[in-house]
Amino acid sequence: MTEALSYFTTAWFDPWLLFLIAAGTFAGIYIGAIPGLSVTMAVSILISFTFSWDVNDALCLMVGIFMGGVYGGSRTAILLNIPGAPSAIATALDGYPLAQRGEAGEAIGISTVMSFFGGMVGIALLAIGAPIISDFALTFQPRDYMLLAILGILLVGSLSGESLAKGVVAGAFGMLIGTVGLDPLTAEERFTFGFTELWNGISFVAVMIGLFGVAEALGQLRQLELPAIKQKITRIVPSWASLRRYLPLSLQTSMIGVIIGALPGVGGDIAALMAYDYAKRTVRDPEVPFGKGAREGLVAPESANNAAVGGAFIPMLTLGIPGDAVTAIFIGALFIHGLNPGPMLMIEQPHMFWFMVGNLVLACVFMLIFGLTGIRIFTKIVEIPKGILIPLILLLSVVGAYAVNNSVTDVYWMLGFGVLGYFMKQYGYQVGPVILGVILARLIDENWRRAIISEQEHLGSFFANMFASPLSLVLFAAVVLTVLSQTPVLGWIRRLFRRA
Amino acid sequence: MDYHEHHVKHRGEDAFGLVVLVVSVLLLWKSYTIAGFSALSSPGAFPMAASAVMVFSASLVVIGNARRRGRLSGEEILPRTVVLFTALVIAYAAALVPLGFLPASFLFLILAMKLLYRASWLRSLIIALASLALVYIVFRLVFQVVLPQGIVPEDEILAMFRHHPAPEAP
Repeated sequence: MTEALSYFTTAWFDPWLLFLIAAGTFAGIYIGAIPGLSVTMAVSILISFTFSWDVNDALCLMVGIFMGGVYGGSRTAILLNIPGAPSAIATALDGYPLAQRGEAGEAIGISTVMSFFGGMVGIALLAIGAPIISDFALTFQPRDYMLLAILGILLVGSLSGESLAKGVVAGAFGMLIGTVGLDPLTAEERFTFGFTELWNGISFVAVMIGLFGVAEALGQLRQLELPAIKQKITRIVPSWASLRRYLPLSLQTSMIGVIIGALPGVGGDIAALMAYDYAKRTVRDPEVPFGKGAREGLVAPESANNAAVGGAFIPMLTLGIPGDAVTAIFIGALFIHGLNPGPMLMIEQPHMFWFMVGNLVLACVFMLIFGLTGIRIFTKIVEIPKGILIPLILLLSVVGAYAVNNSVTDVYWMLGFGVLGYFMKQYGYQVGPVILGVILARLIDENWRRAIISEQEHLGSFFANMFASPLSLVLFAAVVLTVLSQTPVLGWIRRLFRRA
Repeated sequence: MDYHEHHVKHRGEDAFGLVVLVVSVLLLWKSYTIAGFSALSSPGAFPMAASAVMVFSASLVVIGNARRRGRLSGEEILPRTVVLFTALVIAYAAALVPLGFLPASFLFLILAMKLLYRASWLRSLIIALASLALVYIVFRLVFQVVLPQGIVPEDEILAMFRHHPAPEAP
């Protein structure tokens, strides 16, 4: 226990690590807030710049950016009615009406404190839940990992875009990119087309920067104007009485956030929308109706999306399965630094786990401090025209892709995926499942082969054993239900029952 | 799967769906050539499964596109700005090694800002210089990222600042 505590506080007494977390959180808030910059974009570009760093330094910076970025989107949602990040979509619904009534300062204050509170609840549940889940995960069979990974890709594909079919196309494509190169088990060439340069596979950092940096920036060229902020900002720190009033709601929606965040495939954006919906259904008499500037409509999504950060770390650290695109990139970063997220992480390197939990707490505290200050500078920075911002994003993307292997080939890969991602977005194919597929391809491939070898290559006994294990059965059912829920099949069944 | 009847079709959406389908069929054939149907645990098994799934869902998309009689959207899929800007980025990537990070980035930033921001040359010049200086300080000097030097003798200049003259060539 004392050991855990000393790991937990590693960064607390180290001025350099403290600085990195603070800088990360600060940068995260602005990245999350500036429409056009996203946390996925920032973390994927940063991986390429920090891969030669010490693990601890890199993790501190990225944890800060993650936490700050999820929160930062709320500011532009309140001030401009433009959610700076997807997790702030629900915040704009009531935040902007509040700002129009001249209560922007209070709206920012409430959302900051509630984000802090939600973040802390998420971290507490991570600290309690992860050791239990990782003990449980030791009993997982290879096929369970395979099913979990497939479920994650399917959920990202079905929840984030317009059709599951397009999401599955993207996810399968990502898995194929992930298999390019020499097979790790037999060293056989896969999709190398005779090029020895492809033996090591396609650098996933290049794929990531292409899809999340370049494709996003190119898409934004379509709309270059940004309205200026004209809100007056008054009192920011909310009163104690109003905080006490919203605390129960915040606690409830934080729980929603953690649970949603912990599900593979869904992150803060869905958690925030579900929490908003929950508040709308349960709060009987808001002072102002929802959608017109109800404070409850700020409390719920803001608590939930930051609670989802802690939640998303649970499957990432205990199972090695990312919760969403940001955690997928995070897992990529852990791989680069030689860490292997999964149940063995908690056993072999418990210090890494407690170190990260401690960093999350710090990031949360810094988020509270930076969130309640510096609004005036903030309004200036957010007004940077996209005509300046986009060339800079591209500059960083090119440099980032180059820096990983000092190779221009990676830059071309990145640009290729950037252009591909641009078209995918235009035609409604999500890019999130691609990156999940790239990250999870190896896990699915290896676990499938392990599972089928242990069944002596017999497909019948593979399925027989799968249906005999309650866990595998539940996971299999979840995969099937996810697919069915997007097809007309469920509707037919419902109609059949209604007739009967 | 879920076909939106009211959905507005984008220009080239059908063609893109077909291209995806063709690519996925090629990938399926390519993964078949890895190990054929030799064993369920062969290195080709997972790629084959993944590409088969891709072929299946890509065909669903194509069928869905064909069935949907959506109104064609007037929106341009590839506006001129996007094409020009992409060409500029590719040129920047190509110039990165021969010219070096500093001159290539400087030219890129000026031209890109001129294209997108449409400010005066002087203003673009100042913004490009300032942001390039910031990026250089943060990434080259603080993060120690190795960037191509090209025609600018960066090491020598940096060494001068550190009061360590560069060793003379024998």
